[in-house]
Amino acid sequence: MKRRLGLEAEKGGWELKRIIPREEYCIGCRLCEIHCIVQHSKSRDIIKAFKRERRPLKRVEVEERGHVSFALQCRHCDEAPCITACLSGAMHRDAMSGAVVHDPERCVGCWTCVLVCPYGAVRPDGAEKKVVGKCDLCPDLEVPACVANCPNEALVLVEE
Amino acid sequence: MQTYDYAIVGNSAAAINACDAIRGLDREGSLAVFAEEKRRCYSRPLISYLVMGDIGEKGMYYRPSGYYRRWGIDFYPGTAVRKVDAERRLLETSKGERFKWRKLLLATGFRPFTPPVEGLEEARYLTFVSWDDARAMIRLTSRPLRALVMGAGLIGMKAAEALHSRGCRVAVVEKMDRVLPLALDETASEMVAARCREAGMEILTGKSVSRVTAGGGYKGRAVLDDGAEVDFDLLVVAVGVRPRTELAEEAGLECRGGIVVDEHQRTSRPGVFAAGDAALAFDLVRGEAAVNALWPVAALQGKYAGLNMAGREVPYPGGNSMNAVEFFGLPVLSAGIVNPPDDSYEVIVRRGENGDYRKAVVRGDLLVGMLVAGKIERAGILTSLIQERANVRRIKNFLLEEGFGHIHFPRSLREERIVEAVAGLTRADRERGRG
Ligand SMILES: Cc1cc2nc3c(=O)[nH]c(=O)nc-3n(C[C@H](O)[C@H](O)[C@H](O)COP(=O)(O)OP(=O)(O)OC[C@H]3O[C@@H](n4cnc5c(N)ncnc54)[C@H](O)[C@@H]3O)c2cc1C
Ligand code: SF4
Ligand code: SF4
Repeated sequence: MKRRLGLEAEKGGWELKRIIPREEYCIGCRLCEIHCIVQHSKSRDIIKAFKRERRPLKRVEVEERGHVSFALQCRHCDEAPCITACLSGAMHRDAMSGAVVHDPERCVGCWTCVLVCPYGAVRPDGAEKKVVGKCDLCPDLEVPACVANCPNEALVLVEE
Repeated sequence: MQTYDYAIVGNSAAAINACDAIRGLDREGSLAVFAEEKRRCYSRPLISYLVMGDIGEKGMYYRPSGYYRRWGIDFYPGTAVRKVDAERRLLETSKGERFKWRKLLLATGFRPFTPPVEGLEEARYLTFVSWDDARAMIRLTSRPLRALVMGAGLIGMKAAEALHSRGCRVAVVEKMDRVLPLALDETASEMVAARCREAGMEILTGKSVSRVTAGGGYKGRAVLDDGAEVDFDLLVVAVGVRPRTELAEEAGLECRGGIVVDEHQRTSRPGVFAAGDAALAFDLVRGEAAVNALWPVAALQGKYAGLNMAGREVPYPGGNSMNAVEFFGLPVLSAGIVNPPDDSYEVIVRRGENGDYRKAVVRGDLLVGMLVAGKIERAGILTSLIQERANVRRIKNFLLEEGFGHIHFPRSLREERIVEAVAGLTRADRERGRG
């Protein structure tokens, strides 16, 4: 039984992918962060992304303390506080995938979503225009880059 | 006479989020939105971005064009509701039309407060609360001029910033001893004021305007309580806002400086709901009803009003004061109580090397307030701890640390938040064997 309150009018019958971290297997190597950056870079080339282009924002963050670590990205919340709070309407639920996505064109960089995201999963993008960035579940990939590139299966994908 | 299953007065944050929630549950019921303003729903807080040229007029809209049609909403732009009869469930518009309704939502928002300042009534001045105000400001500042802003709250400071970006010489007068006195604490206020002064603004705090003399057009002179005189070409009055309750009061609803609502956003009359800046709803930090005139709070109330109107009885989880601002490159976020009223609160402060400033306000085992200035990443984790009324006893010392996150939570809480919340399984579900 899935607990879901169908609140936003857009919510439909999509199958939302969710990424779950497994801290028992995470070794804190941060390959997920690296591949996230590459996937969101212009060229999607690891050398170019890190050395020549404007390095995009990482949308996954490894939290680490002592021997414990895990990777965390946007939870694509059922009740997404960022959507309700967004001043411009830039943050919204994608009607096709059910993912919580962000439209940088409409975003004004007011940081209200940063203020309300319980996971710290949306952050200011260092871009010239003031905007935020967050996990988009890699819409062009079958399996998101962070999950696909974790050597230890410390990130797993579940589909509802 | 036409009957609507749902009628909504107002067309802003609360109203549109109510529409979304209603349509999420009920695609069939007839739904009408009555809007005094002529435009489809736009984001009020973005008017300063419009003046500053950060966004164009297209960027103002909160929802895509075609929103009302797509969701089967009868939209009445430029149509104020003049009268509500809560007994017979009727309403009457400014155009003289009458409609019946089954459920009514009052999302009438706020209006700017006009201070009793001598000479102000005779003077011409701007307020800064609507798209029309933004347009007027753009038109009047086609040539740079001397602008005086009364009030250094959020709206006053946004107006000042907008005027500054238009090349105006800006002075801000504030009665309290600092800028943004409600949203920020003393230190952060000082940080913001310093940035504004560096940018060339004049910040006059601890002073109030005691008299205004009109000088033709928008020009005039203000005399401050310390006797100083300030000549201006344009005056903006932004000394606060008040909930718009007149419609509710005339309809006999209970109001106490805001429309009184219960935890389901219901007013004192059956079938009538209220949400947003007009409503006096539960503040979860203060533990009592309060008006938090903020977009996210209005949106959340609208959403819960809509759910309850459409028949799903879910209590409003409560709002809290929260502010995200950035002036001249200094971002500041705050939530909850940032100015503790007495010493029953514990205040933790941390300053970073590059001038960053962070503060947590704790009472007992609860985090009740936070403020971060400069580095704002991941501050939402703190906001959520405030909203969830989580016990922070064991993590108190880490709250303001660099890299603070779920890693500092006890493992069970971390799993609850990260894994269970996402997989849609509560601990109870698991125990019942559903996992
Ligand atoms: C310049 C500025 C900057 C701001 N910045 C921020 C910010 O950064 N963050 C933040 O959280 N908040 C901000 N706010 C506050 C935010 O805009 C409000 O909290 C929010 O708009 C409240 O939404 P609401 O739906 O309650 O009502 P409102 O936005 O006040 O809208 C109410 C609507 O109802 C209409 N109405 C009223 N009576 C009637 C009637 N009888 N018939 C028909 N229509 C009627 C009004 O014309 C109005 O359009 C800002 C406000 C301003 C002015
Ligand atoms: S950005 Fe944060 S609040 Fe928004 S859906 Fe993702 S985790 Fe939830
Ligand atoms: S920063 Fe952008 S996405 Fe976030 S609340 Fe503001 S406008 Fe919305």
